[in-house]
Amino acid sequence: MNLRLHIWRQAGPNDTGMLKTYDVANVSEHMSFLEMLDVLNEDLIAKGEIPVAFDHDCREGICGTCGMVINGRPHGPVARTTACQLHMRTFKDGDEIYIEPWRAKAFPVLRDLVVDRGSFDRIIQTGGFVSVNTGNAQDGNAIPISKPDADRAMDAAACIGCGACVAACPNSSAMLFTAAKVGHLASLPQGQAERSSRAMNMVLQMDAEGFGSCTNHYECEAACPKGISAEFIAQMNRDFISTTFGGKA
Amino acid sequence: MKAFGDIWRSNLFQKWLMAVSGLLLVLFLLGHLSGNLLVFLGREQINEYAHGLRTMGHGMIIWVVRLGLLSFFVLHVTSAITLARRNRAARPAKYHRVESRASTLASRTMLYSGLLLLSYVLYHLAHFTWGAVHSEYYAQACPPSAGCVDCIPDVYSMIVSSFQQPLISITYLLSMIMVGLHLNHAIASAVQTLGVTNRRIVPVMRILGPGLSIIIALGFSSVPLAIILGFVKI
Ligand code: HEM
Ligand code: SF4
Ligand code: FES
Repeated sequence: MNLRLHIWRQAGPNDTGMLKTYDVANVSEHMSFLEMLDVLNEDLIAKGEIPVAFDHDCREGICGTCGMVINGRPHGPVARTTACQLHMRTFKDGDEIYIEPWRAKAFPVLRDLVVDRGSFDRIIQTGGFVSVNTGNAQDGNAIPISKPDADRAMDAAACIGCGACVAACPNSSAMLFTAAKVGHLASLPQGQAERSSRAMNMVLQMDAEGFGSCTNHYECEAACPKGISAEFIAQMNRDFISTTFGGKA
Repeated sequence: MKAFGDIWRSNLFQKWLMAVSGLLLVLFLLGHLSGNLLVFLGREQINEYAHGLRTMGHGMIIWVVRLGLLSFFVLHVTSAITLARRNRAARPAKYHRVESRASTLASRTMLYSGLLLLSYVLYHLAHFTWGAVHSEYYAQACPPSAGCVDCIPDVYSMIVSSFQQPLISITYLLSMIMVGLHLNHAIASAVQTLGVTNRRIVPVMRILGPGLSIIIALGFSSVPLAIILGFVKI
């Protein structure tokens, strides 16, 4: 199939950037979206132009590195699918496709479709961990965890940190990502000791990074390739407020 | 533990203030609505009710309630505007194309429906509480000619004569659409903000919230509608 792409091109963080139009020919429906971009880039290199920069790593939907807004939707039109797992059969010959980077003050564009998601790392650094004393590793089953708790923790832990929730949110809020991390550890016995300070610190770090606040549109939940539930946001709200009023989360 | 000032200024705390004050305002609306519907029971009922409100506890109670409402309103509006400004700043560059999947007309227009409500509330107070606008109908409650000192004011006549004016009724009806739109998102949203995760309650609230918003909007609208259609007369 033949496609017309409108891609955000920006030479560097301080460049203003603009949408540029490219035609790609002979795209196979079996290609992934990133492979289609690879074809375009080969083309650009052959013509002596600068290829389109985009992030990618595993290309199997598990690392969270890839990410771009495709026709107004983070990771494209297919629910629960990362851009690397999106296949060209969802498009048809002659389609026009808009490709833009994640848009958020806390995710500055580095180049073309690549943004700096260091703000997510800094949120994790303020509380997305469990402190353990060094020494021998604990016995595998020393801490029993019930099946519902383990399932709940796994549901939250499925977050791959891709940032689509921020990109989809009209307020560029990072609530779903942060709530997934807070909710993951809050579901496990190991996470209880630091549960209150974790919720408080990670929430305040979100603000410090310049993410917006949640207005409960639930666009994040709809865009999340891992189907993280907004229920974790409610739980984080509760943990934060009970910590604020002196109690424990 | 963080300093309380830092927590107070945080997005999540401001959001919580907005939800709590908003829900208290919704409770007030439900009380207000049940009072309004006394119009349908007749002149005496609503007049006595209104008189009772103003004189309860030697006229002190109404001031306590007014002070409470004013503070919730101020908290609600200031937190709403603070958060809306921060949210705007969080996305300095816009997308060329956006396809929304989950948000609704109501959820996307909360600030605008809220600001329209703010102007409506000021108009409404000027009309029925201060008598600053449409004073000819306000005067009906307590005609100076009657030399009224200790009598029960005739709010029934004030309401009915006001709403017999189509322009006034239409203004109120349009405002009630705004109330319905605002609450359509607000009630269920506040449940989420307060952190309710119970899987039996949440789905019910996501239906009950919009349902309640329709009941509130229709309930308030029934009074001007009944008057303009002539079911309720002087
Ligand atoms: C009768 C008066 C009002 C009632 C009963 C009311 C009720 C509510 C409730 C319950 C919420 C939900 C809070 C949450 O999302 O957690 C809300 C949100 C909101 N209200 Fe009001 N409100 C009223 C007036 C106003 C006014 C005058 C403004 C003017 C600025 C306003 C602006 C907002 C905004 C911007 C939101 C946030 C919406 C969001 O987060 O998506 N409201 N309101
Ligand atoms: S919550 Fe979902 S959309 Fe957000 S970072 Fe995690 S995987 Fe990506
Ligand atoms: S490249 Fe790893 S999730 Fe897409």
